[in-house]
Amino acid sequence: MNLAWLDAFLVYGLFFVVMIVGLALLLHLQLGLARIANFGAVGFWGLGMYAFGVLFIQVDWPFSEVWAFLISMAFGTLVAGVAGLAIGWVIADLDTDGVMVATLGFATCVWIVATTEQDLTGGALGLGGLGFPYDIGSVKANETLWLVILIAVVALILFYVSRVHKAPYGRMLISIGDNEHLARSLGKQSFRRKMWLFAGSSAAMGLLGAIFGVMERFLDTGNLGISITLAAIVALVVGGTTRVWGAVVGAAATIAVFEILIQSYIPFPQAWYGQAIPVLRQMAFGAALILVLMFRPHGILGQMRRDKLMRRTHGG
Amino acid sequence: MDLITDSIVVGLTEHAPLILAAMGFALIYRLTGLINVAYSETITLGAYLGMWINTTFDLDFYTILIPTGILAGVLSVATYFAVFRPAKRRNVGGLEMIIISFGLSIFLRHGLQFVFGYPVRFFNVPPPDTIFVLGVGVSSFRLLAVASVFILALGLFWFIQKTSYGLQTRALASDEDLAQVSGIRPLAVTVLIWFLAGVAGGLAGAFYGVGSAAAPLLGWRQFLFILLVVLVGGAKNIGGVIIAGAVTAITLAAMTLQFGQVLYAQLVLIVVFVIILKVRHTRAVAAGGV
Repeated sequence: MNLAWLDAFLVYGLFFVVMIVGLALLLHLQLGLARIANFGAVGFWGLGMYAFGVLFIQVDWPFSEVWAFLISMAFGTLVAGVAGLAIGWVIADLDTDGVMVATLGFATCVWIVATTEQDLTGGALGLGGLGFPYDIGSVKANETLWLVILIAVVALILFYVSRVHKAPYGRMLISIGDNEHLARSLGKQSFRRKMWLFAGSSAAMGLLGAIFGVMERFLDTGNLGISITLAAIVALVVGGTTRVWGAVVGAAATIAVFEILIQSYIPFPQAWYGQAIPVLRQMAFGAALILVLMFRPHGILGQMRRDKLMRRTHGG
Repeated sequence: MDLITDSIVVGLTEHAPLILAAMGFALIYRLTGLINVAYSETITLGAYLGMWINTTFDLDFYTILIPTGILAGVLSVATYFAVFRPAKRRNVGGLEMIIISFGLSIFLRHGLQFVFGYPVRFFNVPPPDTIFVLGVGVSSFRLLAVASVFILALGLFWFIQKTSYGLQTRALASDEDLAQVSGIRPLAVTVLIWFLAGVAGGLAGAFYGVGSAAAPLLGWRQFLFILLVVLVGGAKNIGGVIIAGAVTAITLAAMTLQFGQVLYAQLVLIVVFVIILKVRHTRAVAAGGV
């Protein structure tokens, strides 16, 4: 396949944008519907990436690399899911402050373990040796196929989220998020529902982390900072925390502008790309969070359709 | 015995800025109920301001503390007027308020790099004197940080318990509407609290900065522990925050001295504190308090 027309920066930029869309969609379930303030999304994402990478690289597998790859990826997803179940149990009945502390604390713990356990993870120096489970020719072709696989995974997440919105389960999550005491008094098992929602979405975050690790081909503790969580929150808030397509629209309006438009198509002086543009990007993301939540709290797409319908029907 | 003595001296002197910052954070948390993530940037700002005043006007470290504290306090009040007050007037929800403060934190953290430059910046101070406390050598800067904690703690206790503004603060924290009906001017009290919190954060930043360097992530790296200390210590009571901060400081020092790795000590403390929060909440639910 001739991919000469395809810019390598564009492939990587698109990959990053699609991955943030996936994370923001999962955050939409947690924060947008159930109002679980997960500020440690990068912890589950990073745990999936490291669990996958460490198992794949450090174990002397007795069978083919493809099987080792698939088993390691399933392991990364499972570990993130189990961690999500444990943290979900801790936070399911805590208030927003407690949830924030526990999720931020978890992300910090993941970073600490990745940094200190040098024999396993490579520590601050990182660990190489990851690669694609196939070889279809050039590096660009391999990366493009991996992008397509990521798009398929994120499309599945999007499909699931849209199904949740239409299902009684989604309405229950919304009712728990709106008024948990009321939902509980109506017989809804809010604790269990929140815990399993958190476990499932954390597992999916772990899978996205593992997929990202393959694209990077390297485990780097520098990826475990606040930037990934920030990007997902920005995409979700700007697009609309309560809307299915909010994550997609938000990521297109924010992350894509910097990762694709500015990186590949706007000819800024070369020196700016080292420090000025990354710093400007973070400033713009911070300002976007403030401005959107103050002046358009439901984001670009606005309130949920069901809220609009209720307002039209009942007034208010 | 040596480990205990060393842990107490090293812990309290090395982590005194943590207690100072936690006290400032608790003031805002008690008054508004807001987890102000941007408070971490007040600390960072304190380090940058202290370094800038020190290197620009060639003032010694002791002299720069006063202008640094005042400037950090003023900028803390400025963030209240620029962001948090308008947001409150627009009836922004509690969770959204935290996300706004997160956004402000990111904005300020990176904005500071445009103002002060990308590389980390260092104070220009001569090596501090070493004073022996219980046989452990401690720098004079660290002892000054401990003294600042004592002075601020006493000042805050006096302010909150003995002055009319303190009474107004408590009333405002309990029930803002009722306090307003009683003739309390919420704006004056609120501005004062944000200023004091800014002073505490700024001074903490200056103490952190002179011990290492003024760097963009300086405040953010302390934020989780400040939050844990305040939530576990109980924001209703500054004494509880000081005790939780002191226990944190001594435990961190003891584990670091024992295992030679500060990150493991931090990991253990995070896990223990989260378990405490969970157990406390479970007991409160069982007792019908929630």
